[in-house]
Amino acid sequence: MMAVVETSRATRLEEGPAADLAVASLALARRFATGATMWCVAPQWPSHGRHVAVEFVHPVIVGTRALPAVSVDAADAAAAVRLAARPGDILLAVSSADDVCAADLLTRAGAWGLTSLWLGAGSRPSGSPADHVVWLEGVEPAVASRSGDLVLLYHLLWELTHVVFEHPGLLAPEPECTDEVCVTCADEGRVAEVSAVHPDGRVDVVVAGRREAIDASLVTPVAPGDLLLVHAGVAITTLRGAGS
Amino acid sequence: MSTEPTGFLYPFIEAEERDGAALVADLAHSARSKMADSRALRAATLDRCGDAIELAGTAMAACFAAGGRLLAFGNGGSATDADGTVDLFRHPPQGRPLPALSLVDDQAVLTALSNDVGFELVFSRQVIAHGQAGDIAVGFSTSGDSVNMLRAFEEASGRGLLTVGLCGYEGAAMAVSDAVQHCLVVRSESVHRIQEAQDALMLELWSTVQRHLAARGSP
Repeated sequence: MMAVVETSRATRLEEGPAADLAVASLALARRFATGATMWCVAPQWPSHGRHVAVEFVHPVIVGTRALPAVSVDAADAAAAVRLAARPGDILLAVSSADDVCAADLLTRAGAWGLTSLWLGAGSRPSGSPADHVVWLEGVEPAVASRSGDLVLLYHLLWELTHVVFEHPGLLAPEPECTDEVCVTCADEGRVAEVSAVHPDGRVDVVVAGRREAIDASLVTPVAPGDLLLVHAGVAITTLRGAGS
Repeated sequence: MSTEPTGFLYPFIEAEERDGAALVADLAHSARSKMADSRALRAATLDRCGDAIELAGTAMAACFAAGGRLLAFGNGGSATDADGTVDLFRHPPQGRPLPALSLVDDQAVLTALSNDVGFELVFSRQVIAHGQAGDIAVGFSTSGDSVNMLRAFEEASGRGLLTVGLCGYEGAAMAVSDAVQHCLVVRSESVHRIQEAQDALMLELWSTVQRHLAARGSP
C-alpha cells in the first residue's frame, strides 16, 4: 500500500503554497471587507466544498467574525453562481488541475466579475484562469484529498484571512486600473460570457460583471453561455471549455 | 507555535503595522510554521496510534470480509470528514471499493429527526434504521464530547456493530466510553490541526483495511 503521510516531502509542502496562501488571504479579506460572498465548489470532492464553506460561516474560534461562504453543487454551479453572485464576489474552486468543471467555472468567474481562487494538489495547472492559485505539488490529488493536506490548505486560508482583519488599514481594495491604454483592460482580449443572442444578430455578453453589446460576427453562431474572447467590442474567438 | 484555540492571534503582528508587503511576509511565515505543525502532529499521531490503527483496521477488514458496511457520521466540519470517508471507501484511489453510508448527507432525514426527536438522536436513530451486527460505525468528533455522537456509539455498540471513534483534545467522553471500542485520539487543542490529523488517521485506517482484505484474497 501507499505510504500515507511521508515526512520526507516536508520541505516542498511548506515552501510551495505558503507565499501564495498569504497573497490570496490578503485578497480574500479585502473582498470580504467590501461585502463579498465566497462561492465554493469542489467538483471531485463535494465534501471539501462544504467543509471550506462551514469554516467561514461558523468559525471554530468563538468571537471570530462569520463570513458569507456558500457551497454549491458542481452540477448546478454555473447556473447558481451566475444568477446569485454579484460582481466583486469570490469563487473558490478546490480540485486537481485536470478538473474541467473547475477550470470552466474559474474562466467564467472572470466574465462574471468575480475574484477567483483555485486551490488544489498534484501537478500545478498551467495557464490557470484563476486570479490566485494555491497548490500542493508533488502529491497525488486523491491522497492529498484525504491525508489532511488539502483541508490544511483551506484551514490556513481561513486563519490567514482572519489575521488580515486584524489590520483594518490594509483592507482597502487595491486601486483599480483606469488607464485608457492599460494592457490588461484594453490591448488584450477579455473573457466574456454570452448572455443573449438577438434575432437581428446582436449579441449581449457579460464582461467583468457588466453587460455589454458586442459585435460577434467573426465567431457566429454563438449561444447563451458560450465563452468568447472580446477585444475592443469585437469577439475575436470562441473559448471552448477551459482545459481544452 | 501555540496550540491554544486562540493561537491564530499572531503575536508578532503589530497593531500599528500598515505595510501590506510586511503583512504578506508574516502571513507566509505563519503558513509555513502551521504547515510544519500540522505535518508534525500527523506524523506523531500516526506513530503513537500505530498499534491502535492496526487493531481497528484488522477488525474493520474482518467486518467487510463478512459483508459488513461502514456507517459514518460527525457534526460540522467533521460531517464533511464523514462524507469524505464514505467517498474514500466507495471510490478508493486504489484497492477494493467497499460499502459505506453517510449519515449526514440526507437533509430530509437530518431535519426530520432533528425536528421530531431532537438533534441528540440524529445519528442514533439512523443507526437503529441501518445498523446491523457486523457493520462498522465510524464517528468523527474534535471535542469527543458531542452528545449525538455518544448516543450513536451506544446504540451501535448495543446492536453489535464495530465502533470506531476519532477525536481530539484528550479524547473526552468518547475516549472513556465503553461504547467506543476503538478510539483514536489526536492530542492537540487546535480544532483545525485535529481535523487534519483525523484525516490522516482515517486514510491510514483505510489503507490498513485494504492491506488486510488484499491478504485475504478475493471477496
